[in-house]
Amino acid sequence: MRKILSVIKREYIQIVKTKGFIIGTILGPVLMASFIVIPIVVSVISVGQQERVGVIDLSQEIFEALDKKLDHKLKDGSRRYLLEKYEISTDPEVLRKELSQMVLKKELSAYIFIPKNISEGGVAEYVSQHVSDFDKLKNINEALNSVVIEKRLRKEGLDPQKIAQYIQRVGLKTIKVTKKGEEEDTGGTFLISYLLVLILYMTLFFYGSIIMRGVIEEKTSRVVEIVLSSLKPFQLMVGKILGIAAVGFTQYAIWAIFGFSASRYSKSLISSFFPSASGFKIPSIPPYVFIYFVVFFILGYFLYGTIYAAIGSMVNSEKEAQQLIFPITMFLVVPILLMMFVMRAPNSSFSVVLSLIPFFAPILMLLRICVLTPPFIQVGGSILILVLTILFMIWLTGKIYRVGILMYGKRPSFQEVIKWIRYK
Amino acid sequence: MNALDIENISKKFGDFYAVKNLSFNIHQGTVYGLLGPNGAGKTTTIRMVMNIIIPDEGNIRVLDRKMDEEMKERIGYLPEDRGFYPKMKVGQILLFLAELKGMKKNVARERIDSWLKRFDLDEWKLKKVEELSRGMQQKLQFIATVIHQPDLIILDEPFAGLDPINTKLLKDIMLEMKQEGRTVIFSTHRMEQIEMICDNICLINKAEKVLEGNLSRIKKDYGKNTVILDYEGETNFIRSLPEIDKIDDYGKFMEIRLKEGTDSQVLLQKLVGKITINKYEVREPTLNAIFIEKVGDKDEKNLISH
Repeated sequence: MRKILSVIKREYIQIVKTKGFIIGTILGPVLMASFIVIPIVVSVISVGQQERVGVIDLSQEIFEALDKKLDHKLKDGSRRYLLEKYEISTDPEVLRKELSQMVLKKELSAYIFIPKNISEGGVAEYVSQHVSDFDKLKNINEALNSVVIEKRLRKEGLDPQKIAQYIQRVGLKTIKVTKKGEEEDTGGTFLISYLLVLILYMTLFFYGSIIMRGVIEEKTSRVVEIVLSSLKPFQLMVGKILGIAAVGFTQYAIWAIFGFSASRYSKSLISSFFPSASGFKIPSIPPYVFIYFVVFFILGYFLYGTIYAAIGSMVNSEKEAQQLIFPITMFLVVPILLMMFVMRAPNSSFSVVLSLIPFFAPILMLLRICVLTPPFIQVGGSILILVLTILFMIWLTGKIYRVGILMYGKRPSFQEVIKWIRYK
Repeated sequence: MNALDIENISKKFGDFYAVKNLSFNIHQGTVYGLLGPNGAGKTTTIRMVMNIIIPDEGNIRVLDRKMDEEMKERIGYLPEDRGFYPKMKVGQILLFLAELKGMKKNVARERIDSWLKRFDLDEWKLKKVEELSRGMQQKLQFIATVIHQPDLIILDEPFAGLDPINTKLLKDIMLEMKQEGRTVIFSTHRMEQIEMICDNICLINKAEKVLEGNLSRIKKDYGKNTVILDYEGETNFIRSLPEIDKIDDYGKFMEIRLKEGTDSQVLLQKLVGKITINKYEVREPTLNAIFIEKVGDKDEKNLISH
């Protein structure tokens, strides 16, 4: 045990010190943060300015109502859109050219062209240098839409307010029922499940290949037999897998601390810029889901870690390993491909069976736990099957590893590996 | 007390015997040579002693105890395939390996410093292994083998790739270990090294023991029927002389095995006048000749290349 500890310590220190680990650990949160911060920064920058928008109203009946409707306010209380009406004195085309010039010179940020037949199905035009600000386009489109519809209704002698009441959309709230009761869900479940499963998938892949690379390095540098003069191959393998697990937990811990503080900070950041958005709910991870996430990460890590270690012991270079990794990659990719299916029908017998297969269980059972609460017998069963599979894999890969790690030269055939397992 | 007792061990890989029914004993405080051609089973035997490979049959006792994981702390092993983690610093890797041998950190640190000084490597302690030359790395590997003051030292091809200076250094330390009462086992194909250092030998060929025992006694058993001839001139006629059993010709130097009951002086007379004789010595056969005879002619080419 003391020897395994020495191996764990060495693996941990050697990896944590590498540039790859430091960069990866820092870059992860930076990427996460940039997803939250950049949109806010961008929206703050674009929202902060008043915009002069020219209007050519050929119908002569829209401008006033539009000006009233488009009353979006900036943070300081002033109007966001400053509409300016341009009267047609001569040919509308001449005026349009003039306004286009003004837009190019940035005297106007845009102009709106309203055709004469706007109430009879005519199409308005929005002319600007930038036509990709969806927020702005939506504001203008909605305002224009409601102004024109009101006009049409009035023409038919109908009361727009009443009509608005009649055609009000029916809402559909999604509520997730759990053992603890009912809870409103604003799409967070989907997001969280997706995120957790993706993190699990990527880290299983990532740490698995670190294990494999470590084993290959021990082989190619010829250090392995020197180490084996002090401990058993099995101890070396277990020490390596545990040491790299410790690296994984360190990285997770750093990310988790960063993530929690960032989500807290980002909430106050969001509400300081959008007082109206203070009710905005950042989806939170229920504690039991988080616990299962950790459990399935550990189980998945050991399941795939031992396989990666065995593959590393069979080959002489990473290049050689690529072909052997392929089936393992499939085991990890298949559940990702089936994700949407399982999310849609998490309780179908197909989903249940898939989530019990040990190689898929870490990802698919976690997914099912995220979207519903599967019967405990299923969760416990999949954990039990996983643990048994892991024990079997440790036994099996330990046997392969023991022989493979001392074999140089030609990559062994499948039959040879079977022979290795039979050696005393 | 014996440092190592090997009793009827066998190891099969598939249908192939790597080691078959091998037995030998090694007394404490001696230097023991394990020799044999490539693929004879030397490394497999050593790995079984180290508990890295488990024998299919037979018993191994180390320092009068059944071999187990704990015993590894009393053995220093320099494998034939050796290297270090390239990114680790010299001091770190030695400390790691010493810890694996069960040493206390502070004791290990002290001993690492003194060994590095002895090998002129103290300035390299904080450098990464990959920055060291091959020769320096070999010295480090040797330090790692003996850092925990093992009672039994097993060296698999220790001289491979060493320059003459490091060869001498290593040989000196091996003899020093012997004087301290430790036991050294080493394997090689270089017969002159065995002849110079070893007390006892075991010759393995095709997984089986061919010859074992005290080196000087083995030679004595072969008798003084060998002539070492240092010569110049045309020697083709010698091969057809009736006294000759076997010739090993090196061009300027020849090892001749005489037929039993032949007088070496008769041969000398036949040579005088036909070639220039610089030296004519009657002695026991060299280990090289014994090796070739035991292992067989078909391995001869293989041997000469070493």
